[in-house]
Amino acid sequence: MTGEFRKWPEFSWLSDTDTWKSAEKITAGIDIGTTSSQAAVFADDELFGYASIHTGADFTLAANTVIAKALASSALSVGDIGTIAATGFGRRNVLYATKTQDEISCIAKGARFIYGPAVTTVLDMGGQTTKAILLHEWDRVREFEVSDKCATGMGRHIETAAEILRVPLTEMGDRSLETENDPEPVSTTCFNFAYSEMMSLFREGYKEDMYKENEVIASYLFAVAWRILGTVGKLAPLDIGDIKIKEVLGFTGGLAKNKGITKRIERELNITAIEGKHDPQLAAAIGAALLA
Amino acid sequence: MITAGVDVGLMNTKIVILRDKEVAAQRTKQSGGGGRGETVKEIWQDALKDAGIKPKDISKVVATGTGKKDVSFADKTVVEAVAAARAARFLYPESTSVVDAGADMTHVVTLGEGNTIREVVMNQKCMNGLGLVIEVMADRLGLTLDEISALAPAQGKTNPVNDGCPVFAELDALGLLNIGVDRREVAGAVTDAVVVRLSSILNDKIRPQKDTTVFIGGLAKNLAVTERLKERSGIHFLIPENAEYGGALGAAVIATDM
Repeated sequence: MTGEFRKWPEFSWLSDTDTWKSAEKITAGIDIGTTSSQAAVFADDELFGYASIHTGADFTLAANTVIAKALASSALSVGDIGTIAATGFGRRNVLYATKTQDEISCIAKGARFIYGPAVTTVLDMGGQTTKAILLHEWDRVREFEVSDKCATGMGRHIETAAEILRVPLTEMGDRSLETENDPEPVSTTCFNFAYSEMMSLFREGYKEDMYKENEVIASYLFAVAWRILGTVGKLAPLDIGDIKIKEVLGFTGGLAKNKGITKRIERELNITAIEGKHDPQLAAAIGAALLA
Repeated sequence: MITAGVDVGLMNTKIVILRDKEVAAQRTKQSGGGGRGETVKEIWQDALKDAGIKPKDISKVVATGTGKKDVSFADKTVVEAVAAARAARFLYPESTSVVDAGADMTHVVTLGEGNTIREVVMNQKCMNGLGLVIEVMADRLGLTLDEISALAPAQGKTNPVNDGCPVFAELDALGLLNIGVDRREVAGAVTDAVVVRLSSILNDKIRPQKDTTVFIGGLAKNLAVTERLKERSGIHFLIPENAEYGGALGAAVIATDM
């Protein structure tokens, strides 16, 4: 395994203004996930900078790197930031954080920032867990569900699948949608079974037929989407009163960028998710910064 | 007589060329993906060059492994267990069982008289891809497979991970990293989980002979796995020098019969 196919691009952004100098309050949110880590910095509730990196084996190192990347060339240093909230699987490793915050509130807050007040259902799909959150009015969490243990680690497994199939992770989604008829999903009971079944499809051999390769990816990603739908299904009936799920579903987390998953979820739920103004992977970090 | 065996695995493709039952050339390369058939052809050319022969000099080619159907020039395909059994008999005529553990599947074969097979046991569904578990973990921890192989048998005993399901094992390993456990110790714990699974296939079901069991496949090259498995199962494995070529060698030996 070379790690060349599972890599997704790291990114960062920094405001070219120096509004932080006159800002009354500077806050930061750090989300250390099992697979990726994000940092978001706000100056008076205005997004100032952010970064997203691979977590790797050392969570503390990831926490230090991600904030350095977000602040990048600005004159701002960690010491200038008033409050720093840490969230995510590895939040205890953010040694410079002033507080820790649970993921659910962070995602809810971040999703509202990214998708605006219209969003009522948030589906957060990350490397480790899937969370479905039903929002109530402004930022209130009405209800949430977390994926069960057998659906754990989907994001990470997709990275491994990319390595086995030797298809770049960033192309998997698009390629899975290039099939004429969507194939049946592989096993959806347990994530590991889906995985072995995908390997069996692969085992049958597909010679030079590229189309069939796309079918294997499609079948696999369909199973992933199916498991995520299971988490959504545990939420209370989605059309409650005048809250219509249609047009108000927002995806967050790293898997929100995989069209092979999001398109299948939209198709099964018969809805179209709304477009956000920021990268969906930043949701938890943005939310943490706003709650800090 | 010159024959060849091609073993197309989940992660690596191996080729062995035999000249009068002596290894003339052996080659391995990372395989996988839709271009697997092309990779096979590339290694094939390299192996032929190593042996200093042309394709027409080869009388028969036998393919085995996960991707055996992708070997367009093969005269015959055999299942992995059959190739493993022949390799074990060829390398150690006195052997009674053979364990073949690679990236994808694990087979334990009990040998019968001559070249016959008495019993084949495969891994359970939940522990498919034991070699892959170690590769994924190595990649994650930033350790090479050689570094994992070099782990002392004692490492990883204090903080175990789940040894029933690889998904949970990985989750536990991340949990250990989260609390700041050294990554070598985490690698040791994952190796232990793999060893527990291998040992359960061996001792709960088959109980092979202690001194005449051969261990081939990629995992047989990993000292951390073999040493711990010896300790846990009490079996003193016969491990050939080029254990990863076991399947390809068996296929090449089968080709000499054709």
